[in-house]
Amino acid sequence: MAETNGVQAAVDIPADKAEILARPLEERDDIVVCENVHKWFGDFCAVRDVSMRVKRGEVVVIFGPSGSGKSTFIRMINRLEEHQQGRIVIDGIEMTNDVRNLDAIRREVGMVFQQFNLFPHITVLGNITLAPQRVRHMPRSEAEALAMQLLERVGIPEQAQKYPAELSGGQQQRVAIARALAMQPQIMLFDEPTSALDPEMIKEVLDAMRELAATGMTMLCVTHEMGFAREVADRMAFFDEGALVELGPPDQIFNNPQEDRTKLFLDQIL
Amino acid sequence: MTARAAPAPLPPATTVGLQGWLRQNLFSSWGSSAVTIVLAVVLSWVVVNLGAWVFVEADWTVIISRVPLYIVGLYPYEGYWRLCICLLLISVLLGMSWRAWPNAARRFAFAFGVIMLFVGVFPHEMAPDHRALLLLNLPFIGLGYVLTPRPAETSPGRFEAMAGSALAPALERVAIFSTPRRMVIAALVALVLTMILILGIAGVPGLDPVNPQDLGGLMINLLLAFFGIVCSLPIGVGLALGRRSNLPILKVACVIFIEVIRGVPLITLLFMSRHILPLTFPEDLNIDRVYLAGITITIFSSAYMAENVRGGMAAVQAGQTEAAQALGLRGWQTTLLITLPQGLRNIIPAIVGQFISLFKDTSLVYFIGMLDLVEMGRVSVQGNQEFIDNGREVYLFIALVFWVFCFSMSFISRRIEGVLGVGRR
Repeated sequence: MAETNGVQAAVDIPADKAEILARPLEERDDIVVCENVHKWFGDFCAVRDVSMRVKRGEVVVIFGPSGSGKSTFIRMINRLEEHQQGRIVIDGIEMTNDVRNLDAIRREVGMVFQQFNLFPHITVLGNITLAPQRVRHMPRSEAEALAMQLLERVGIPEQAQKYPAELSGGQQQRVAIARALAMQPQIMLFDEPTSALDPEMIKEVLDAMRELAATGMTMLCVTHEMGFAREVADRMAFFDEGALVELGPPDQIFNNPQEDRTKLFLDQIL
Repeated sequence: MTARAAPAPLPPATTVGLQGWLRQNLFSSWGSSAVTIVLAVVLSWVVVNLGAWVFVEADWTVIISRVPLYIVGLYPYEGYWRLCICLLLISVLLGMSWRAWPNAARRFAFAFGVIMLFVGVFPHEMAPDHRALLLLNLPFIGLGYVLTPRPAETSPGRFEAMAGSALAPALERVAIFSTPRRMVIAALVALVLTMILILGIAGVPGLDPVNPQDLGGLMINLLLAFFGIVCSLPIGVGLALGRRSNLPILKVACVIFIEVIRGVPLITLLFMSRHILPLTFPEDLNIDRVYLAGITITIFSSAYMAENVRGGMAAVQAGQTEAAQALGLRGWQTTLLITLPQGLRNIIPAIVGQFISLFKDTSLVYFIGMLDLVEMGRVSVQGNQEFIDNGREVYLFIALVFWVFCFSMSFISRRIEGVLGVGRR
């Protein structure tokens, strides 16, 4: 792993994850299954007929023009948007209107937003410990110890007592990553995590994401950081006009795209 | 960095300093110069004439001889010391606020202490023990200050620096209001004690019950406005949450309540509470008009409060709810822990604004026969042949009293806004 600013270079990989990571991707189980998923906003079809399977520990980078449905797609995976047709199964739990299923899925899936969405009225430590205490009923001392451990991991333990507004954008986004990780999710969703950041802060967030990928976390990232995608992604998904146009390893996408639209888009942004 | 930029050039002399200010604000063009001169002439004419009346012609004896009536109404003289104790309790709370939120509360606490000092030494008829109790307010502000620990994010003040390390451990030990919870408990205890002191308890020596109808003057305006706003906050929050809820019957009930109350002038509500509502009461039930007025004002205020709270919560970004949902928080947890606290924070200035207008609205209680400050003014003029020509003095004095209170509250409100701005994006 590249030398990073503040992010711990040594990565502790839990034993169960190490065992999964040791296996090649093809032999792992599917943790996210989407079959023929559709979503409309009024008459507008935002996501059309998307089918995708994500393996445990896999990193999938999702990219495409704005309005292509990529954000809507990952927001359906923890049901910030409801899918209207098709089937979504997360780690064996079917996404239905059953509240118990929804609760279970939201415990499995963490999310990081473009605008960070930290809670401005509580401290950094409070942001991270809130959900473990309220949802997982973790004792406060334990939640705080976990939070400090996560802040160490993203390189900003000294900011624990501050309020979000006192932090830089990059630091806020790293807190947001720590906050999502505190729920000990199996899957992490990133919705354009670096798009709202000043250029000099993008690297610190990507470093934290790299480190997370190295620990064997399953990740779905909507991002236009193609360097990050090339380096970290196992597969890349190109969305256009609500449809999943092409899905393949970075090597294929960058060097030998199968679809004209993929090639056209990459020519525009690279 | 080695190379140093050349010093920044200075702005032209005509844009800075007094000359620059005058040029930019008062004499920027021919038209604006003309307006400035005309207004200056008119204003000085008004000020000179008014000043002449205030300092030469006006006869202020009506005010000076009636001060207790204006302040506390017909409250029995034997109980004045109890009101003085209430002021001391307020002083302690102000001292605590000064310590905990120096930027927001310092000047107000200081001004309160100075006013009490002024009233305490002002040469007019007053019992020495009342004077002594009023003079104690400044020390009690200090007491509240010392009983509260210094907030972690502020640096030690001059006093602490002077006291040095010798006093530090002692100061730490007496700082008993160390958590928000303890401060809230202190405020609630002070509130209950205030009510007990003002109204008294039957059978307790020294605390003889006071007839609620004898409460009057400025005190009843302040009490009604204060309890109106404090009680309407939780009711308003409940109504706002009801209006936002997905349960149709609850929602419709809240909307109807809010819109009916907001569509009716307070004075008609007061009239109904006094003359129509009692028709529905059982015969032996006799609620004093003071309490009826309090309940009516609370109901009136809570409809407006509900709309404030709703606005404040609507202003919380959608991303906050999404983040809470993504973390697995339930709907009610999201509301209680995320949207409501942020929404309430958004509306603190609006709450103060509502308090100010409610405070002024309380002067309408004359309509149901209560002797508030304005009604007391009317009575003191019209009920006394000697002062029948002194209406101008009395109403000017009353206007000044209202203005001082309202202005200091909006001053605090702006300070609070500034303090809260720190924790925001």
